[in-house]
This record gives sequence, C-alpha cells and structure tokens, in this order.
Amino acid sequence: MMSELADWLSNTPVRDFSASLLSSIPGLPPVLQTVHLLSIAAIMASIVMIDLRVLGLAVPSQDIGEMIARLSPWTVWGIVGAASSGIWFILARPNRYFSNPVFQIKFALLALAIILTFAFYRLGRNQASIWSGTGGRFSLARAYAFVSLSLWLGVAMAGRWIAYSEYLFWPE
Amino acid sequence: MLNEFFLSLEYLPLAQHIGATWWFPLIESLHVVSITLMLGAILMVDLRVLGLAATRYSVSTLSRELVPWSAVALGVAGATGIAMFITRASAHAVNPAFQIKMLLMVLAGINVAVFHLIIFRHNVDWDPRINTSVAARLVAASSIALWIGVMLAGRWVGHIV
Repeated sequence: MMSELADWLSNTPVRDFSASLLSSIPGLPPVLQTVHLLSIAAIMASIVMIDLRVLGLAVPSQDIGEMIARLSPWTVWGIVGAASSGIWFILARPNRYFSNPVFQIKFALLALAIILTFAFYRLGRNQASIWSGTGGRFSLARAYAFVSLSLWLGVAMAGRWIAYSEYLFWPE
Repeated sequence: MLNEFFLSLEYLPLAQHIGATWWFPLIESLHVVSITLMLGAILMVDLRVLGLAATRYSVSTLSRELVPWSAVALGVAGATGIAMFITRASAHAVNPAFQIKMLLMVLAGINVAVFHLIIFRHNVDWDPRINTSVAARLVAASSIALWIGVMLAGRWVGHIV
C-alpha cells in the first residue's frame, strides 16, 4: 500500500513542484529544516516538559493542570510547524521515504505519540484531580508520561536516522 | 599547524570509529534531541522575560527550574557535537557555516553571561512583573535570534560539506 501511494504521488504535479521548490530556491532546505528543529523545540518545551513534570523530574513549582492549559497550544503549533516544514521533503521523493523502514517507524511512533498526547491533554483538563492524588491513577499518569516521553524522543531520533537506515536495515 | 591538529583529530581511533559506524547517526540523533530540548528550555525563559508567556511565574522561578535543563542539554549537545566534529575536523574548520555557527555560539554565550552575571544578578524589582526591564528584554530577544541563527548555521554545515 505504501509503495502504491508513493507511486501515485510520484506521478502528480505535487512531486515536481516540491522537488523544484527545494532545488531552485537557494538555502530553502536548511531553512525548512531549521523551522522543523524550532517546531521540535516547541514540542520539547510543551508535552515533553509536561511528561518530565509528571515524572517529578522538572519544573516542580508548576501545576500540571495549569501547564496543560498553557502549553497544549505550543504542542499543536509544534506539530503544525514540523509537518508543514517536513512535508516538502517527503513530497519531493515519496518513493525514497515511504520505502524507508526508519521513516515507517518514525510515523508509527508519531501517530502513537500524537494520540496519547491529546488523550492526556483531554483527560488532564477534564479530570484535574488525577494530579492531586497519590493512588493508582497517579501511577497510571506516571506510566503514561514515561511512554509519552519515550515516544517523542524516539520520533525526534528516528527522524535523524532516516538518512542512515542502511545501518539498521541493509537493503535487499 | 592548526590544520595538522585538525587532521590528527580525524586520525584518532575514536574519530575513525564514530565516522565509520552506526555511532555517527546515534550521536547525531542525540545532538538533535539535546539541542531542541535546550532551545525549548531557553525559549521558555526568554519568552517569559519578554512578557509573552508564563507570566504567572516570576522570572527567577522559571530561570531556577529551566536553566539547569538547558545547561545539561548544552553539555550533551557539546559532547555529541565534538564527537561529530572530530570525524571531519579539517573540513568543518574551514566550512563557513561551521565558522558562523561557532561565532554565533560565542555571542550567545556572552549574551547569557550578561543576563545572569550583570542584568539579573541581584534581586530585581521586575522579577515577578510582566513588564521586565528594557535591558532584560533586549537580551532575551537577542538570545532567541542568536540561538535560531546557531540552529540555521548548524543545519547549513551539512549542506556545504
């Protein structure tokens, strides 16, 4: 399915447009990659920082419910910024990306991370008492935070590994 | 002579090993995680000083809780950065993007020293307020601009080599 989608994308004007955009505007690739890094920084400063707070590792003076209300828009804009800066590279070379196992892993981790993050934000807003207790629910919140933290760091690291997938998956 | 020094770095067994194995992508991906975490923590403090975010907290509270994170992340970024630098030291040293990145990092270092050692050294009356001093805002705006420049120049290094 992935290869068919890639083949279809390859035959659309979108691919030619993206490829010529990246190759004809001097400096556009590093500029877009910097926007991508800044967007990742927004994700680090929002959901990753909230995860670290829930785990008791960072910003002890900040209330978790208050952090969610204040920082969740930064997560949204981080995802929007990362997607809108990264998508041109995928559209320009759909076959190369879609067939890359690290790319597939990155997007599987990303989908999980996004679902978990917004489920957590929803729960955190609606049932703020989850943070005040010390019982089983708080342990669950900590377990969630550990998974979320691992997923987001995994997505960031996998992104860089796309260019080096042959170290992990030798092409057949 | 400097070039010989950079070449000797490239011939270090460690440099050879990093450059030829999966260590390089591992180190590079740790560099990405540490620089984005560092920038995230720095941006949170800078935006607070500018009165644009987290204004319910005093500058000193945010600074106390976030500066250690940015410092540790900077340490990891520095260690992983050096580990990558030694694999192509002589080429990086003459790469204009790399030189600009180092210059911008020195300026960012001076900038943060000015903030913590001069502007924010003593209990300042604007600490809990939204409106901080003009000098503090100038330093915070410079910090954001300089670190974005560091990221851009760093990313540009890979497009020149």
